[in-house]
Amino acid sequence: MNDGTDLETPIDAERPDVLSADLREALDGLRGEIRTRFPARQRAPVEKVDWMALIRKIQRRVSTLGMSERSGEVDEFGMDEIVLRRTRPVLELLYEHYWRIELHGIDQVPDAGPCLFVANRSGLLPYDGLMVSHAIWRMRSKLRPRFMVADWLITLPFVQPYLARLGGVRSCRENAERLIRSGEAILVFPEGQKGAAKVFRERYRLKRFGRGGVVRVALETRVPIIPIGIVGAEEAHPILFKWDTPARVVGLPFLPVTPTFPLLGPLGLLPLPTKWVIRIGEPISIDHLAPDAASDELLISRMNEELRSQIQVLIDTGLSDRSSVWD
Amino acid sequence: MNSPGVIAITGLGSYLGRSLVRRLLQRSPNIRIVGLDCRRPFRLDPLVRFHTVDLTEPTADSRVAEVLAEERAEAVVHTAFRSEPTPNLEMDHELETIGSLHVMNACAAAKVKRLVVASSTMLYGPWPDNPNFLTEQHPLRGHPGSHSVSNRVQVESLLAQWRAHHPDTEVTVLRFCWIFGPTYWDHVARYFSRILVPKLMGYDPLMQFVHEEDGVHALETATLHQHPGVFNVVGRGVLPLSTILRIAGKRILSMPSPILYRMAYYPSQGQTGDPPEGFYDYLRYLWVADGQRGWNAFGEPVYTTREAWMSFVSTRRMRRYR
Repeated sequence: MNDGTDLETPIDAERPDVLSADLREALDGLRGEIRTRFPARQRAPVEKVDWMALIRKIQRRVSTLGMSERSGEVDEFGMDEIVLRRTRPVLELLYEHYWRIELHGIDQVPDAGPCLFVANRSGLLPYDGLMVSHAIWRMRSKLRPRFMVADWLITLPFVQPYLARLGGVRSCRENAERLIRSGEAILVFPEGQKGAAKVFRERYRLKRFGRGGVVRVALETRVPIIPIGIVGAEEAHPILFKWDTPARVVGLPFLPVTPTFPLLGPLGLLPLPTKWVIRIGEPISIDHLAPDAASDELLISRMNEELRSQIQVLIDTGLSDRSSVWD
Repeated sequence: MNSPGVIAITGLGSYLGRSLVRRLLQRSPNIRIVGLDCRRPFRLDPLVRFHTVDLTEPTADSRVAEVLAEERAEAVVHTAFRSEPTPNLEMDHELETIGSLHVMNACAAAKVKRLVVASSTMLYGPWPDNPNFLTEQHPLRGHPGSHSVSNRVQVESLLAQWRAHHPDTEVTVLRFCWIFGPTYWDHVARYFSRILVPKLMGYDPLMQFVHEEDGVHALETATLHQHPGVFNVVGRGVLPLSTILRIAGKRILSMPSPILYRMAYYPSQGQTGDPPEGFYDYLRYLWVADGQRGWNAFGEPVYTTREAWMSFVSTRRMRRYR
């Protein structure tokens, strides 16, 4: 580092014959003393701010809104491997340190191949989907379930590009069947919007599982259903009550009022750091059923109810095991 | 009937009609081509027998039927559609819907054996509840904000009725997604070749294009061979809109939707070539058409979405070299 003095290079470096030996020695001593008395001062480097470059950078950031990290190569549903790889540390941080997620029953999950995970939905934003698919991915590197997201969320501006790049897919039967047929695992939340809009006092009480669409997809594509119970996520966004009038103005299905939202503004959308437990239950095999079982409505509704009660059991086990919401 | 001897093409001036003529002349010299349009195209090949027909006239159906009977046409390819939306809504309706009805009626009168109609995947409509891949069975819901799309949806529903009444005629409908290539030009290409491309803030939809050669190939195959039914004609692969604009080196103007819609209204009314406000709905939601049926029928497309886009970008010299 250039400290202003030229102490490093000897004075006599170029003309060794000019100085005598003792003079050189004296000079060396002097140099050493100067160095100890006046330690090299650090001069603050003056950097020119390139305002135009900064403005261009900001412009680019605004126009792509944080999506400039993507590779541009997406799969047919819009998932980007590069974005996934880059967000992995963030997801890992959320998994390990924010929600301190405990995962039980990973042995129930196959190593690869299509399967249908079914879980309880909670919270306004699909953190639960992200976390469950991350949890499975870190244990089974060949399996990253695509999580299904409600329509209104995947069409919400600023949310849509991120969700799609991270592997979110609009939840509908066509998409689910296409994904399974192409050999992917999917994670569905059959409670749908009713589940996301659950108020705090109704937490962990499962709503109706649609009209059995999940079971129907499984029967048609012949893949096993793996139930998952998530405990903790429903307290991350404790909805005290729903406020309809402003929601209608903005075009949202409902406006949740949590202890922090809308009181703290966008900051209130941050989920609380509750302790999560993800419990994976025993897969429901459909191999013993006849191929035309998909047209048997009674069977479907019975299986649907069975699935619901199985997930409810998983949740209840998780609830009775924990001592508090926070640990 | 396998290969028709006489093919009548309506809308010789349109890109698809013009390219189909060029291709047929090159590759199937035994076929006689009859061309119909409201005015004689510039540099028409002398081998094409041309007839001036204005489809917006009230008696166009009998005029077309007369031509078809006189030339003994066995197949009709209907490509007389606008490549640009127009604020002249009445004329648009006359040409696209009523004009198509005239062509259908004429085909029935002349007992044509095959009718091929060019359509568009835009007719599925930009709805937030579309699944990511729309198959041909998906209902055509159109777009309430866009008259040209509504007209084309009417054409398809009229055609479906017509097909039920005329089972002897093979009807093929080709729904093209956005066509790109070195020479193709329409309002979508114009939108994408602007220096500053406006886009909706906070949305990054997936785009799907077909190369013009693949599109014309599908049209040619559907004309010459037996492929009754509806097909999506699309390229393989999807690309996000932001990537597409970045490949072309475009400046992006991201605007919140209410402002963009309001800003787009007046220029499109003034026919400046800007897309109408409803166009931006197509750059909003994640959906494309499922092309599997078309690929099975007409063969694997030569160009993917990215290659179709690259060929457009490189011929227009849009890419900025840095």
